[in-house]
Amino acid sequence: MTGVADIVSACLLLLGALSCLLGAIGLVRLPSMLSRLQAATKPQTLGLFLILAGTAMRVPTDSAVTLLLVALFQVITAPVISQLVGRSAYRSGAVRPEVLVVDELAERGRRAPEPPPQ
Amino acid sequence: MSDSPNGRPNGRPARAGWRDRLPRIGWLTLVWVLLWGTFTVQTVVGGVLVALVVTLLFPMPPATDPIPVRPLRVLGLVVFLAYDLVASTLGVSWQILRYGPRARGTILEVPLYSSSDRVATVLASAVTLSPGTAVLHFAPDQGVWYAYSLGPRDEAGVERARRQALDMQRRVLAAFGTPEEQARAAAGEGER
Repeated sequence: MTGVADIVSACLLLLGALSCLLGAIGLVRLPSMLSRLQAATKPQTLGLFLILAGTAMRVPTDSAVTLLLVALFQVITAPVISQLVGRSAYRSGAVRPEVLVVDELAERGRRAPEPPPQ
Repeated sequence: MSDSPNGRPNGRPARAGWRDRLPRIGWLTLVWVLLWGTFTVQTVVGGVLVALVVTLLFPMPPATDPIPVRPLRVLGLVVFLAYDLVASTLGVSWQILRYGPRARGTILEVPLYSSSDRVATVLASAVTLSPGTAVLHFAPDQGVWYAYSLGPRDEAGVERARRQALDMQRRVLAAFGTPEEQARAAAGEGER
């Protein structure tokens, strides 16, 4: 039994690490602020979940429950940060238009001037 | 126990009533118990006390737009988000490995079918949690929102991303939307 749990746990940890690695590679390889933001925040979310799941199998139940909180706060906070950074990047002109197939937000900007930020 | 104490003449009570605070007290207690990691009488009672103090010290504005919550649909949304997290991570990984510096993205205008701030918050969080997509801007006045999507390289890809964004909005509305908003989403009002 312990053997199976160890193997599953090890697989989860490795998959989680792989997911984080892919995010890091994306951070280097992707061309624009917005696409890098996707690589920087999202594969880590899945990677973190997998690593937490793998860890939870190896620690006492008490500590495993606390790991649930880590996952919960990741889910709650990651979108907020990602959205704030993405929006600021767009508004400050850090998004190069040539990496976008379509930019309907810019089209809107041409139709009507952007209202001042609240 | 009256459910809405000291209501103002023509409006809502200045502070949320007891019943409105109950979900927050429950939630804060749960977080407290999880932080301690042990489910005992002490941690639960301590959690309730801390939650009472926190909700007293930091009152939330009263909810002005009661939204329907459908527990089964919410569960369905959570399951879909978990699936989407895995599927989209694979998609983003493919973009990273296959295209890398030549990866392209798109910014889409999507019709917004709800005027509720809370629906917009859930929608933005759901879309942004999913790898490869993020919400850039909400324009409730114009009834649209703008989503960034990593991946589309041509018109067909853009349309796929648009359908995905609309699909996510339908799922969020299925969980939290009013029947009227769901009807607008189902009718595909204002879609390109």
